[in-house]
Amino acid sequence: MMNTPQQVKNPSTSLKSRFITRFLGALTKINAEDPISSPSPTRIFQRYRRIKVASNKSMAYSVRSRRIWSRAMLSRFRSRRSAFSGRRSSVKTTNCTTINVTINENKTAKGGLDMQTDELRELVPGGEAMDVCNLLDETAHYIKCLTTQVQVMRKIVDFCHLSK
Amino acid sequence: MESNAGTTETRSNVTVPDGGEVAAFESLQFTDEIHRLISAPATDNASSFTALLELPATQVVELLHSPESVKLIVASAPNVEDFKGSFHFPSNTGLIQKDARFSVFSGEGNNKNEKSNSPEMTSKNSSANLEKAVKSEPAETASSLPLVSDPTVENRNIKRKDREKKVKGSTKKSKTATNERLEDAEKLPYVHVRARRGQATDSHSLAERARREKINARMKLLQELVPGCNKISGTALVLDEIINHVQSLQRQVEFLSMRLATVNPRIDFNLDSLFTPESGSTMDGGNFPSLVTPLMWPDVQVNGYRQQFQHQWHFDTLKQPIWGREEVCNNYVTLENSLLSYDSSANSAATLHANQLKMEL
Repeated sequence: MMNTPQQVKNPSTSLKSRFITRFLGALTKINAEDPISSPSPTRIFQRYRRIKVASNKSMAYSVRSRRIWSRAMLSRFRSRRSAFSGRRSSVKTTNCTTINVTINENKTAKGGLDMQTDELRELVPGGEAMDVCNLLDETAHYIKCLTTQVQVMRKIVDFCHLSK
Repeated sequence: MESNAGTTETRSNVTVPDGGEVAAFESLQFTDEIHRLISAPATDNASSFTALLELPATQVVELLHSPESVKLIVASAPNVEDFKGSFHFPSNTGLIQKDARFSVFSGEGNNKNEKSNSPEMTSKNSSANLEKAVKSEPAETASSLPLVSDPTVENRNIKRKDREKKVKGSTKKSKTATNERLEDAEKLPYVHVRARRGQATDSHSLAERARREKINARMKLLQELVPGCNKISGTALVLDEIINHVQSLQRQVEFLSMRLATVNPRIDFNLDSLFTPESGSTMDGGNFPSLVTPLMWPDVQVNGYRQQFQHQWHFDTLKQPIWGREEVCNNYVTLENSLLSYDSSANSAATLHANQLKMEL
């Protein structure tokens, strides 16, 4: 989806601006490809899914490979793309579950907090294969990126409503 | 002073090594320290080296967990006699190292102990592996220790020093009950200065402790990130809050994308037509305001601009890049600054945004 050429890496480029750029580009693409005025719920649902994927993808691409969660998300997208083309189906998810199981067995760190760390692992992409320390790190960055995402999308929505 | 007898005794002993044996063991430093020690005012208990050694030894026996320490204490007993006799340093390097490790700085309150033990230990340790411990000792113990200036000690790992400082800080906070008890009750030997007072000294527990500290530091960061987590105490609850927050953020993303899906059909994000003609001109220039950003960020407090938004938007939906870019410039330059100032990190986003959009589309 994002066939963007290498962006100009300005030192003052912030995560937010990168995300804004990509996401808006993705939105325009989605709007261009889809017939805009189709009120049927299935079409809307499809749009919704595409927009959601676009949003997550834009954020993941904005972070590039600097974070474990973004790498995991990107590889998930790529595998999903190939799955859509019919070759494999949810290989990634099965791998994740097996990893999750092994980590559960080997957990020694915080006895009473295993449940929470498990939940966190499920929430944060790529969390299954992280140790607790990295998991907390990644969670912090993931939260920061999610808040950016939500902020940007909210503004877009507000704007769209405004301009109706 | 009660130590006079002991000091005279030691003094006589000190003169002996000046010539011979001590020289082999960096006598100069040692003798300096010994002299300093002797001249320093003695405190209560120990009046001789033997007494000094015994005191820490016994207490170390009580407090130490690791087996090595026990061996050391056992081993150091015969050494006491040696010391008594002639400052004949044990040639057993293993013992020396262990002695060093046991950072004999028996407590901050007991200056004499510290001073007496530390000079021996540090001089012995010049070649010891457990320099780290020794280095930690000076850092930990009172500043009155002359050992801090010991060059051999100073050449040690800086990392250890940091940890010691942390340890010192943690001892001040008295994180563990055992620490508190130690500090208050005896103020005598450290188990292992690298570790907190009264805690195990084997590498496993040290590594675990370091790991736990890392995790706690990250938990604090997370607490700051997640609103409302500062008041919660207890890792489990904080983690619960964090999980809830992440879930809510993810749900918000989904919800907003659904809204975008329903709202979007009315709006044509027609950025292509906006940007393709500009591609040659403003690729690098930051002067040209991004045409899109002001449209996207309706956070404008200036109501007057809104109508212009809508006007421009009409143009947009007509897919006609009618608007003179110069006009738009005038309108939106100021807008961008105000719009994007909502987030301090995105101040430069405006100018870059246009470029990036162009490049993407």
